Amino acid sequence: MASSVSSQQDQVLVEAHSSARILTLNRPKQLNALSFQMISRLLELFFAYEEDPNVKLVILKGKGRAFCAGGDVAAVVRDTRAGANFFLKEYTLNYLMATYIKPQVSILNGIVMGGGAGASLHGRFRVATENSVFAMPETALGLFPDVGASYFLSRLPGFFGEYVGLTGSRLDGAEMLACGLATHFVPSAKLPMLEAALYEVDSSDLVIISSIIDQYCEQPSLKEQSVYNRLDVIDRCFSQKTVEEILSTLEREVVHQMDGWISATIQTLKKASPTSLKISLRSIREGRLQGVGPCLVREYRIVCHVMRGELSKDFFEGCRAILLDKDRNPKWEPSKLELIADSTVDCYFSKVNIEEWEDLKLPTRSKFNLPPYVIAKL
Amino acid sequence: MDRALQRTKILTDHLFQSSPSSPAQTPSLSSNACLNYSPPELSENYAFDIKHMRKLIDGHNVEERDWLFGLMRQSKLFNPKVRGGKVFVSPDYNQSMEQQREMTMKRIEYLLERGVFRGWLTEIGEEVQMRKFACFEVLSIYDHSIATKLGVHFFLWGGAIQFFGTKHHHDKWLRDTENFSIKCSFAMTELGHGSNVRGVETVTTYDSNTGEFVINTPCETAQKYWIGGAANHATHTIVFSQLNINGTNQGVHAFIAQIRDANGNICPNIRIADCGHKIGLNGVDNGRIWFDNFRVPRENLLNSVADVSPDGKYLSSIKDPDQRFAAFMAPLTVGRVNIAVSAVYQSKVGLAVAIRYALTRRAFSLKPNEPEILLLDYPSHQRRLLPLLAKIYAMSFAANYLKMLYVKRTPQSNKTIHIVSSSFKATFTWNNMQILQECREACGGQGLKTENRVGHLKGEYDVQSTFEGDNNILMQQVSKALLAEYVAAQKRNKAFKGLGLEHMNKPCPIIPSQLTSTTLRCSQFQMDALCLRERDLLNLFVADVSQYQAKGESTERAFIMSYQLAEDLGRAFSDRAIFQTFVEAEATLAAGSLKDVLGMLRSLYALICLEDAAFLRYGYLSVGNAATVRREITKICSELRPHALALVSSFGIPDTFLSPIAFNWIDANSWSSVEH
Repeated sequence: MASSVSSQQDQVLVEAHSSARILTLNRPKQLNALSFQMISRLLELFFAYEEDPNVKLVILKGKGRAFCAGGDVAAVVRDTRAGANFFLKEYTLNYLMATYIKPQVSILNGIVMGGGAGASLHGRFRVATENSVFAMPETALGLFPDVGASYFLSRLPGFFGEYVGLTGSRLDGAEMLACGLATHFVPSAKLPMLEAALYEVDSSDLVIISSIIDQYCEQPSLKEQSVYNRLDVIDRCFSQKTVEEILSTLEREVVHQMDGWISATIQTLKKASPTSLKISLRSIREGRLQGVGPCLVREYRIVCHVMRGELSKDFFEGCRAILLDKDRNPKWEPSKLELIADSTVDCYFSKVNIEEWEDLKLPTRSKFNLPPYVIAKL
Repeated sequence: MDRALQRTKILTDHLFQSSPSSPAQTPSLSSNACLNYSPPELSENYAFDIKHMRKLIDGHNVEERDWLFGLMRQSKLFNPKVRGGKVFVSPDYNQSMEQQREMTMKRIEYLLERGVFRGWLTEIGEEVQMRKFACFEVLSIYDHSIATKLGVHFFLWGGAIQFFGTKHHHDKWLRDTENFSIKCSFAMTELGHGSNVRGVETVTTYDSNTGEFVINTPCETAQKYWIGGAANHATHTIVFSQLNINGTNQGVHAFIAQIRDANGNICPNIRIADCGHKIGLNGVDNGRIWFDNFRVPRENLLNSVADVSPDGKYLSSIKDPDQRFAAFMAPLTVGRVNIAVSAVYQSKVGLAVAIRYALTRRAFSLKPNEPEILLLDYPSHQRRLLPLLAKIYAMSFAANYLKMLYVKRTPQSNKTIHIVSSSFKATFTWNNMQILQECREACGGQGLKTENRVGHLKGEYDVQSTFEGDNNILMQQVSKALLAEYVAAQKRNKAFKGLGLEHMNKPCPIIPSQLTSTTLRCSQFQMDALCLRERDLLNLFVADVSQYQAKGESTERAFIMSYQLAEDLGRAFSDRAIFQTFVEAEATLAAGSLKDVLGMLRSLYALICLEDAAFLRYGYLSVGNAATVRREITKICSELRPHALALVSSFGIPDTFLSPIAFNWIDANSWSSVEH
């Protein structure tokens, strides 16, 4: 028992510097993939810090070359019920971070994917570096962009969110800053100085914290072939009503202009789980019109259906092909977009009407004086 | 003394708070005596599934609606503005009229490119028609100008080509219309004739030498007026004109006319002037048109009902000019259906804003040092807003019924569609104006700001009570039609069938002399009361008209004289027909919290109908019973109060399409949000 507690604590390192708390995700061999223990520990710490008047700022970072490569999915697929419980805890953490009354600064010096994005992007400050690699790769795994991604992706400019969410396209630090996933870009060499400066902050004031980060900021330039320079094509194609129409519009664009990037995008979409593409698109579109709480409630409903595996087993197949057998050759079922009826997609968004699969209950936030930027997300 | 001290304290707090020199020194997390914005979603609970409720009241194409909301939300063209940390989209009404018109056109082009109008004229069937209705409802939540300009293009021009035209018109025009290769308008109204279309003065003759029709505006009152699209953009129009063949007037016919060339230059023999600035809808370029011996080819006559042969012979399958005209007008019902169902959605915007504001705005405390009271916790405020909520729910179900009636139409159902759409169009658009006005006032001064939408919508949507048929005239037609049903049933000694009048065949319902709360909430009683009013008013109206006729007045004159009963009867029919759709919608649900809440709304709707003066005027309710009804209304209002947020959230209108006072209005108005 004692050893499990200590290992749980080891997975998240805690430092205190005056009124700042520094939490370091510490599973470098697994690229800091979030385990159930890590999520529980983070929840416990975040709840405690909110009540603790001595804490004014929370800094989150990762040990090694990743900030966090996602949720520990391999563990999740082993036990369906425990898996659902994992997501329940994870989404609760996402909501807590999104509605946190104290500023969270996440230092994204490395890989930020899936669950890692959920543990950082909801916070007030997201610092990217030249080492940042962001992606929401769920559709290749038979899952969908969750952890509140339907909230933050849908709020990116134009239809970039649909593009990023459906294709799992990787973004670098400059692109993250340009589209708004990151709030600042700091070269990694300056991170030690930035952290030292943040340790001294004795305030939760956003203007002060922001101006400190600003001192170490640089304006990175987008690579010439950056996808962010293709926003016009992305908007034209990814604004279409259905996945099928997105694909056919992309195919029309390819005919007009032979373009490697567009054909690669088409290939990526064709390799992803058709079911995942459909529920992802729908989830992002609904999320665009909802607050962060309802987004997470909806995502939890979807993930429960995914875990129950009654509508499709693509998630299990994806994990087999990518994470376990590593043959990278998943057999999706249904195998084609046309084979998935709208009514099947509807099912993913409906409440699971079985007693032990309840809706996600979000923690109460009304006892706090929430800052305006949090209120705006509700 | 206490009060004075308290005021001083609040003032002092304000003064210290607002010191602009060093915001950094103000601890941002500490509370103070100033008001805080407390988001209603954190304190109010949802007792039912709001997604389920939305599906029920939107009725169809929910995903399509959200897609369209999202398309607008994501484009700069829809003028997004950040207020209180949230993005709101709404046209910039501060732009000049000309700028607003150009923006409307640009927004249409953007939606066109995204595939929103795909299939709107080239596909047939119920699915595409319902999809179109859903899109118009969503667009009309954003702005009336874009909805109107598209309505003219697709419903009026497009509908006229589809219904008045024949195959060669369909082949030639529908695809070009759908992809906006041409920009279209609809020239029916004239300066001298609006609702009375049969009186239009534009005249068309046929020249058999050239095989052309010649269109003329013979006098100033014949100028085409309010023609949406005519002032700037339209390349084509459909001209409604008397057709004069060899000196015989064959009545009103419709002709396709190109009024501008591809470069936007006005064609020869046509004069166009602007209608100028209006109280709303300035994003639509309404114009006036005069025709001077303007020639169009023979094929441009929309000839589904009547044609002219190359050598100039008039040919029609319908000999009776009255019937011919009716056949001509029937397909235009779609515009009326569209207006009726869209009106429900502006009411939803108004009420969602007013109720959300009432859940966050406080005024007056009962005792010094006590917090002020939330607006919606005042019974009087509940009494102002919550009955409107019941009305909107009732209208939503009625709108869904009307849409289904329309898309499933048959030649036999044309009469029903005409009567129901006339009645609902008038009732919903009147309700809309009443609801928006109440909501504006309920928002106080904030309701006057254009960015808060509620007040501005009144100007934008006022026209609904006039276009596609003046409301008063439509309601007269309803009463006339009911009278015709009565006469027909009597003459043939047959039972009433259709229009929901079957209750006339049953014994007259009796209202208990002492109404109780239980009775008042019983849907059978509610239906009985509404039927009783309708039945009695129909009898009275028939008697009144025949009395005038007995005195030697013509039928037409008798109708004109009996206008007061006609108005009361029209309202009685509408209220009962709307109520019936509510009962039917409720019946489809399994027992549960959602059904319970709908039951309360249904009762509230019925009881506010019972507050109509007719119930006392004609003695259907005793004075004592009327007082009981009034008391019950306040009771239901207080029971609905906990559901207010859930009920407006169920409208499914994204935050972005509401307005700053519906959310964090303190932050939206903070000094830091001022553009310095």
